[in-house]
Amino acid sequence: MNPHGGWVGKILRIDLTSRKISELSTFNYVPKFLGGRGLGAKICWDEVPPGVRAFDPENRLVIATGSLQGTLAPTSGRFMVLGKSPQSAPTESFCRSGVGGHFAPELKWAGYDALIIHGKSSKPVYLWITDGKAEILDATRLWGLDTYQAQQMIWKLHGNKTRVMIIGKAGENRSRIACILTDSGDASGQGGFGGVMGSKNLKAIAVRGSRSVDVAKPKELMKLTHHIQRLFSRKSLKSNPYEPEERGFKYNVWGGGYGRGSLSLLPGELLDLCNEPSSGYSQTPDGCFACPVSCRSHVKGPDITNGVAFCAQSYMYLESMIHQPEKGYSKITWQAAKLADLLGINAYELMAIIPWLSDCYRAKLLTEEETGLPLKEIGSWRFISILLHKIANREGFGDLLAEGGQRAAAKLGGKAEELSFIYYPRAGRFGGFREHWVYLGGFPTGYAVPPLALMWVLDNRDAMVSHSYISMLWGAAFTVGQNALTAVPEKIFPILKPVMKAAYGSEDAAEFFQSDGKSLNWKWTAPVVKRYHEHSLLKDSYILCDILFPYLFNANSPDHVGDTTLESRLYSAVTGVEMGEEESYRKGEMLCTLERAIAVRDGRTRRDDTLHGLYFEREDAGGRMYHREDLERSKSEYYRLMGWDPKTGIPTASTLERLGLKEVAEDLEKRGFFGRKP
Amino acid sequence: MAKEFNRRALLRGLTLSALGVGGVVAFGDLLEVLAFPNGQKVALAKAVIFTDKKLCSGCRICEMVCSNFNSGGRNSSSLARISVEKEYLKGDYQPKVCYQCADPPCLKACPVGAIRVDRLKGTYARIIDERVCIGCQECVKACQQYFRPPRSRFDPQRKKAIKCHLCSGDPQCVKFCPLGALRVERSERGFLVGYPVIQED
Repeated sequence: MNPHGGWVGKILRIDLTSRKISELSTFNYVPKFLGGRGLGAKICWDEVPPGVRAFDPENRLVIATGSLQGTLAPTSGRFMVLGKSPQSAPTESFCRSGVGGHFAPELKWAGYDALIIHGKSSKPVYLWITDGKAEILDATRLWGLDTYQAQQMIWKLHGNKTRVMIIGKAGENRSRIACILTDSGDASGQGGFGGVMGSKNLKAIAVRGSRSVDVAKPKELMKLTHHIQRLFSRKSLKSNPYEPEERGFKYNVWGGGYGRGSLSLLPGELLDLCNEPSSGYSQTPDGCFACPVSCRSHVKGPDITNGVAFCAQSYMYLESMIHQPEKGYSKITWQAAKLADLLGINAYELMAIIPWLSDCYRAKLLTEEETGLPLKEIGSWRFISILLHKIANREGFGDLLAEGGQRAAAKLGGKAEELSFIYYPRAGRFGGFREHWVYLGGFPTGYAVPPLALMWVLDNRDAMVSHSYISMLWGAAFTVGQNALTAVPEKIFPILKPVMKAAYGSEDAAEFFQSDGKSLNWKWTAPVVKRYHEHSLLKDSYILCDILFPYLFNANSPDHVGDTTLESRLYSAVTGVEMGEEESYRKGEMLCTLERAIAVRDGRTRRDDTLHGLYFEREDAGGRMYHREDLERSKSEYYRLMGWDPKTGIPTASTLERLGLKEVAEDLEKRGFFGRKP
Repeated sequence: MAKEFNRRALLRGLTLSALGVGGVVAFGDLLEVLAFPNGQKVALAKAVIFTDKKLCSGCRICEMVCSNFNSGGRNSSSLARISVEKEYLKGDYQPKVCYQCADPPCLKACPVGAIRVDRLKGTYARIIDERVCIGCQECVKACQQYFRPPRSRFDPQRKKAIKCHLCSGDPQCVKFCPLGALRVERSERGFLVGYPVIQED
């Protein structure tokens, strides 16, 4: 019997080549594969064999929601975009990207848990999905418009309650770093799926739904939601929405150092303007669907592009702050991020490309004449606007950069490529993405933290966007009055101990270097990273927000211990399928192994799980170093814990069968992956 | 009796003059029952949800908690008795709640008298008696003349009209709004709000 809550039961398949639209049952995949990332991984395993290239019509663009989307469950506005990624380099491989905002609930209310899009339309089209119906409509007039204009056109046609996933110029021109945007700034950036949409001649996906998502235990869900709201935020009745009502209460976002309205963290010209009522500028907290925190800011002003600011968008053009230090976070910084949104370029990738260009220019590897970019004035508005337009239109040097920083660097080769390693730390054939590397443990600028290194080598994208582990480090740092960049490990260990014990089973996991202070402690690395991956897979499959879940660090209690049962309890309340915490970790393990199997089929082996040499050559701020042998030993231990062959990093047949992935085992067997020499 | 008659006459006069100058809420403090020129007499609501759109972040938790609580776990924006009207690019978010109008168009439009004042719970909210409702949607149309989106809506699955009933005195949207953009005000004397004081929203 199918569960009676959560999923709406149908997946829509759209073949753009034949213009055929069909439906299949979600229950072919769930509850086994949970939804979201798990569902998408299974679909890609079934339908995207290794030979398919990212821009081939046969590639699938999977838009997947989870069981919680469209319900009251906190942060249930998120969904996942999956498929073979054009951005991962040098090998195109299966990848995922999470998006917030308000698109996911609308899709569920329209009657679909997920979309599988394949084929290629002969002319520009967009999808219009509403209440159990889907149509492929002509998008000739939308093609070439920026993401805001095109959305406005669609709202004129289908009403402004329609939510739209849309690509800009960059996606149309099949940039490998193109994002898919929704509303004023929520985007599927990682993976470059905007380019996949462009390659299918698909400009937009518009959805509007008036149906509902059934919740199995509504009362339970309300109780749980109220509990979670009380953990993360407090009411601020009639007072400043940025200040939690209760004295001393901290929003539990990233360990309490963060809260409502992210712009308030970025001092400078723009914030000053927003704080001045007569200026005409303002910023207000802006919530993703069903979020109790609303960590984004919606920024408005007479001569800037309005929209939400968050994270990558906020920090994209830091060079402008160096260019005009007296202005700090200025209108240029803001407008640069918005221009990337309008053109549909992944801001996160630009955070690597821009400093890398700057490094190359300083090392005299690139000149202004050769690139056609005003490299002398990196940080200015002129530079960023020329750069972004060139990338989006694939003009001149922009054509190379539209391939993504890593591919561009590889093409240039030599010293220029070496300079890129600091921004793209993973070596091997599954490298690829700009990383959240500038953290505490933001080696080489900060401290070396062994679990972060292992997380990084095992992924094929920005590995740390599941902030769970990081948020503990941050939270501990904030608690002792430091921040992510200034934290000193010795000071935060005592705070981390009880938290690590609750989250990963051992107090010792908190100490990431030996008591002599000279060498790193790798002992707990593998088990910590295994649990981290399980958390991450579950959070992306239910689907919940990266920033709030898993809830490992409580900024407001004396021992700071969070609660790891929240996600599975939400899942149980919404779907009516009982899920214990331990059981959920087995699911996470299974999905992680499935993703590994896809990577293996794409050609990934143990040898691809590594970092560039420079990470083993430098000392961190505490004088400690990563050693290759240590990393290799932790890898072996991790593979063993996961039931993968430590020699090859390939999941073993018996593990796959134990996890209920018999078909995967058979396929890998057929392709001769078992018993291979490393 | 004479006293009551006088009072009613006074009220009528007050109402008319109030409408003449564009409507003022404050003098509702004096009143419990308002009589309108058409002779209709409806007790004023003693609890009303007020919104502060400046605080709203547009997260729509109010919509979800409403539909989850009042529609038996069917979560949907279209079943919510409160709705957030959003201009996504402009960042303009307005929670739209039922005013529990002083002279409720929905109540007057209902052909079967399914809408009544909730005296039992003491909120005096205008509520729909589901057992009586025939799903004709006259109340939706009546509300729509003044308020968009209409505050009473139609539940196509159950074929009944639905509207805000202040959750029998404990409005869940107010309880769950994480930004405090909603608040419930109570007054024993009742509130003179909604139609006819506000004729468009």
